[in-house]
Amino acid sequence: MKRSSSAARAKLQRAKRRTSALLPLLPLLPLLASACSRPDAIVVGSKNFTESMLLGEIVAQQLERYQLRVERKLYLGGTFVCHEAIKAGQIDVYVEYTGTAYSAILVLPATTDAAQVWRAVDSTYAARWNLKWAEPLGFNNTFAMLIRRRDAERLGIRTLSQAVRYARTWRPAFGYEFVEREDGYQGLLKAYGLTFAARPAVMDLGLSYKALAEGRADIIAGNSTDGQVAALDLFQLEDDRHYFPPYEAAPVVRRDLFTRFPAARGALAKLGGTITEEKMRQLNYQVDVAHRPAIEVAREFLAGVEK
Amino acid sequence: MSFFEYLALNRAEVLSSTLEHVWLVAVSSGLAIAIGVPAGILLTRRPRLRAPILGFANVVQTIPSLALFGFLIPLPFIGGIGARTAIVALVLYGLLPLIRNTYTGITSVDPAVREAAHGMGMTDAQVLWLVELRLAAPVILAGVRIAVVLGVGIGTIAAAIGGGGLGEFIFRGVAMVNSAVILAGAVPAALLALIADGGLHLLERRLDWRR
Amino acid sequence: MPDLIQFRDVSYVVNGRALLGPVSLSVREGERLVLLGKSGAGKTTALRLINALLLPSAGEVSVSGRSTRDWDPVRLRRRIGYVIQEIGLFPHMSVERNVGLVPRLERWPAQQVRERVADLLQLVGLAPGEFARRLPHQLSGGQRQRVGVARALAADPPMLLCDEPFGAVDPLARQELQAEFRSLTERLGKTVVFVTHDVREAVALASRIALLDQGRLVFAGTVDQFNATGDARVTALRDLL
Repeated sequence: MKRSSSAARAKLQRAKRRTSALLPLLPLLPLLASACSRPDAIVVGSKNFTESMLLGEIVAQQLERYQLRVERKLYLGGTFVCHEAIKAGQIDVYVEYTGTAYSAILVLPATTDAAQVWRAVDSTYAARWNLKWAEPLGFNNTFAMLIRRRDAERLGIRTLSQAVRYARTWRPAFGYEFVEREDGYQGLLKAYGLTFAARPAVMDLGLSYKALAEGRADIIAGNSTDGQVAALDLFQLEDDRHYFPPYEAAPVVRRDLFTRFPAARGALAKLGGTITEEKMRQLNYQVDVAHRPAIEVAREFLAGVEK
Repeated sequence: MSFFEYLALNRAEVLSSTLEHVWLVAVSSGLAIAIGVPAGILLTRRPRLRAPILGFANVVQTIPSLALFGFLIPLPFIGGIGARTAIVALVLYGLLPLIRNTYTGITSVDPAVREAAHGMGMTDAQVLWLVELRLAAPVILAGVRIAVVLGVGIGTIAAAIGGGGLGEFIFRGVAMVNSAVILAGAVPAALLALIADGGLHLLERRLDWRR
Repeated sequence: MPDLIQFRDVSYVVNGRALLGPVSLSVREGERLVLLGKSGAGKTTALRLINALLLPSAGEVSVSGRSTRDWDPVRLRRRIGYVIQEIGLFPHMSVERNVGLVPRLERWPAQQVRERVADLLQLVGLAPGEFARRLPHQLSGGQRQRVGVARALAADPPMLLCDEPFGAVDPLARQELQAEFRSLTERLGKTVVFVTHDVREAVALASRIALLDQGRLVFAGTVDQFNATGDARVTALRDLL
């Protein structure tokens, strides 16, 4: 359960509310989907926050570049809605995060070993549900300890280990999820031996960004791919002890997709490794901060991806 | 874990959050009354201010709470993070019903009654205090009731800016995808709203001169 | 007797339209002057000029020899009883509190206020024990008017201004009220300015009648003079009203 919104934590509370509001509608989804899906098109899904939707759009346009017919079912709700939908064959592909699948769907205890996480989700998805993990897109959307860039430069620090000696005077502000989760705040203190000037102000994640930028807080726990990181000139302290679990993004695909549409395999493989964390941050920024349409942002991105 | 199990295990915390919530609502409602009622009176004396002041209160109502907090964070004295900022937002949200009901209550006093009051040699302050406010009291109190009940409800957003209160359970529950935790905040908040509504309704009826 | 109230070339203009005047008129101490006229003739305007609810656009209204411009309006009004239509009673106050209001504002001791209220209710024919604690909506129209008169008399003002106070009362009760009002004010020696559009009421109450038409004073004289005059404008209005 806990990891269900691992990437959604990137987004504001409104996205989370929407997720929970949609949960009661879950049983209706298959009905709805079967009523309008067509067998001659690939159905692309996404969760209900910017990054997932943007990645869904990129996957959809990439498939279209290979003359495949695509039907979009973006903004489907949270992890569980997407997972149930792809199991039931109502969608053929959506982008998931390895850490989310590992903890929220497979309900395995948190681990920081990226390779182990990948092996577990890859084999279990194949064995249990005939689902395949395609090539990872290249970025890891995990918790990011953020400070103001000018502080990082003034102190000359890059990593969390280097930050420990300055943190005593810092006022932290964290979102509820980071404080609640066992792999969040408490674990972080232990892993690095951190102490802060005050107990963290627990507040809305989106507002904590603002509080940091306005100098009301000195360190926050954001998300590594959030567009705000660039927009507010923040600096992500490197998790040099690899405390945070991996959340690599990759398309999850129904096995039968590649037999129905052989060209899809190559199309998705080409996306592998094309989106760095910095790139994802920029893409999110284009939609969230610059308010550009996702379709346009996705098209521009794909123009730079080799066909 | 069911809601009741969670409640039983965390009753001390739920109770202290409830008290914190009551405190947030009491302080913000008190301030909103202290600002809104005089502002409503002012509007009856300076009709030209009506459009801008009611317009302001109306617009504030439409600002989403997170956006309002966003505006407040950089402000000195009233802004920042914590309960103070939450109270400022709650005061702003409570203003509209208070200003509007005070204004409506006073302007709907029979003009003949007002003329009689002036004609008998009451000072402006006496007309306001002995006649207009007394006659408008049920309407003003209805505005107070709306503001307080609204405050209990939207007081839960205080937790979005580190202001505490019952919203903490709601935000934590949403973050943990645990409805028992959400309910530990939502149910006491609903009860508080019902109690405030009932209590103020009784007071409103006692102050009603038409009884 | 000296002039208590005096209008000297008074006019009152709103948005370029003269509601009254120019009018010159005086009211002597102890007389009951009835301002008679159609609605819109300027009667109520004239009344409100006396207690400074309005100030003249031109000319001067003086009370007790002092211009209303120079009076502190609150002090002036507390010397003048004011009776308007029944709704002028404060609906949230009991009869006792309505009647005792001006004495309380004048900071009379509580016991004295209570006694005064009881006396006044008796004077206007309402048993204090029965009526003191009622609210205005628990009274009949005639009873409300009696309370209105009692309230106007409460602080023992030398003059009373009455704006169609019996307008909303049924005709039978009205005659009774008129008779009682006349004998009461006569007995107390109050100076009264009384506005009405009812000729019979004017004749029943007045010691002097002033007839207003379209803001102008067309006649002023005793009741006998009013009945006897052959002035065409007066007879026309008299028959109309």
